[in-house]
Amino acid sequence: MKLRRGLLIIGLLTPGLGLILALIGTVVYIAVSQSFGYYSLNGTSEFSTEFWSKMAGRKAFKRSIQYSIYIGVFSAIFSVALAYPLAIWLRKPFAGSNFIGAVLKAPLLVHGLVAAFLFINVISYHGILNQFMQWLGIWSEPRRLQNDPNAYGVLILQTWKNMPFALLLLTGAVQSISDDVLDAARDLGAGTWDRFRRIIAPLTVSGMQAAMVIIFIGAVADFSFQVIAGPTNKQSLSQLMVSFKGRGDWHSAAVVGVSLMMIALVGSAILAVVARMVMRGRIK
Amino acid sequence: MIKSLLATTALLASATMSFAGDLSTMSWDDIVTQAKEEGEVTWYVWYLRDDFRRAVQVFEEEYGISVTIPEGTAAGNSEKMLAERDRETGDIDVLAWGTDGFATVDLAPLFSSLSVLPADDGRVVELAGFDGGEHVVAFWGNQTGIAYDPAHVSADNLPQTPDDFAAFWAENPGKFGFNYENGGSGPSFYQNTLRVVADIDFSNGEVTDERLAAIQPGIDFFNEHAENYVVTASNADSIIRASDGELWMVPAWEDHLAGLQNRGEVREEIKFYIPEMGMNGGGNGVAIPLNAPNPAAAAVFVNWLTSPETQSMFNKDFGTAPMNTAADDSFALVPNEQRAFRQVWGAQPFRGEVEASFIDNVILER
Repeated sequence: MKLRRGLLIIGLLTPGLGLILALIGTVVYIAVSQSFGYYSLNGTSEFSTEFWSKMAGRKAFKRSIQYSIYIGVFSAIFSVALAYPLAIWLRKPFAGSNFIGAVLKAPLLVHGLVAAFLFINVISYHGILNQFMQWLGIWSEPRRLQNDPNAYGVLILQTWKNMPFALLLLTGAVQSISDDVLDAARDLGAGTWDRFRRIIAPLTVSGMQAAMVIIFIGAVADFSFQVIAGPTNKQSLSQLMVSFKGRGDWHSAAVVGVSLMMIALVGSAILAVVARMVMRGRIK
Repeated sequence: MIKSLLATTALLASATMSFAGDLSTMSWDDIVTQAKEEGEVTWYVWYLRDDFRRAVQVFEEEYGISVTIPEGTAAGNSEKMLAERDRETGDIDVLAWGTDGFATVDLAPLFSSLSVLPADDGRVVELAGFDGGEHVVAFWGNQTGIAYDPAHVSADNLPQTPDDFAAFWAENPGKFGFNYENGGSGPSFYQNTLRVVADIDFSNGEVTDERLAAIQPGIDFFNEHAENYVVTASNADSIIRASDGELWMVPAWEDHLAGLQNRGEVREEIKFYIPEMGMNGGGNGVAIPLNAPNPAAAAVFVNWLTSPETQSMFNKDFGTAPMNTAADDSFALVPNEQRAFRQVWGAQPFRGEVEASFIDNVILER
């Protein structure tokens, strides 16, 4: 009986879990194996830790890790920080709120590459922004804004692209808070900030965590924004991985790929824990 | 059931192999006849695909063989060729690849012999230090150099040496840009500058600590002048910013620039030259994988692609250096005397190590 029940559970789990294990598991397996010298496309396949040790000593690798984490963390924070007030504003329906909500979510429909090229057109040397600032008389000549060294362009693009996603998750979470709870807090003398800090933030922490983690994972692995609008004196981990692959060095590319997966996993866990502690008032 | 399936598969495989192998014993007329029976050829080429789709219409009309050019990148196409090398019948009839790409693989186990093509002494099989032997023939000649805006830079006073470039940077800060990735024009510029400043022999691919340390004067040269030049995102980014007027001088590919100008995407005023210090030239070749599904059509297509007529057309339409000595090269962007400054791409793995060192010690230090 126990065996039959066990088989039934496995059978029920197989379509979902099996697919995940088959698709993700094989990719992870190949990447990890390649990072240790196996599955060589154009050479001898044998176990080696050389690729990891060489990569660990490379300045470009360390800089890429720092840069990717910087982009991942700040993209997640900015997206959520912008989405919160909008979600609270749109909590109660009003005339035009559906239209505003739809417009705010429009970036979800625009592919990142398209957005990056549009952005470059706007900020280019003779682009609209430069022309506008000169027309206003604020700038006397065009300024070079493209590929800025601090990656503000990438952060703007990431926030523009991901804020609607955070808004989608947070709107649902905020709308689930009953009016009675907020009214009670107001009756007890809680101001706007206190109502957010003591009521809304703790009750929406799960949605916020989900938004932070998913945005972080996407942004830490950014490629398309980085190669078009990112700084030319820094490389994201994805960019570094692709550059190794372009040189035919699949093993080094696999090392970077596995590192990226580990950073996404560990980083998102840390981000989720820290975000929960902050939102529940344990870190002030 | 399984036995009969295996038997059928084995029969089909042996038939395919004998079919492909028969070309060497056939006359060229018989190969053309078989090619027309095959009726199609798939050409994997990673750039200017829309333009090539138009260009091959001449071939399609002449032979009645349809040409399919799939989307794909250089790395993607070559990796596909490598990944499916053990399949009895692959998807690729003709593979285009850079000569430096072909140089990374052993040709005989991967590609058919091109000795079945009709004799043509004008074809180019040795290019930029690469010898394609009987497996690879060049179809596209290209050259890196400097594109400049004559409105700001006098043609009589063009920088020719690293010191000249440094002087230009100092006089015109922020007006010279080059890429270090996403295209080879920028790497050609910085590698030749390193070669001249540090007196390095790039034709030797050996990697030693001493040889890598010897490039330091060149690294210092770029770091000393770091404030005065711009690093761009790609070949295309460099040219577009020169055409836009933001930059006055950028490294570029001759064929890339000519193609963009022909299509009206870059100002016609932008000029091109090869500096006396030398910049890299090379080209792309084509080869027929051993497991090509339409080997006869592939051979006929390669013959057409490398013919004087097609190479003359490419020179006119794309600004390439013709890869057949009998072709007309009068539409090139640079006079023939400047071709003497052509340098060969550095040998691997030394070049790769220099690129990594340049990124670490110049680009990431900015």
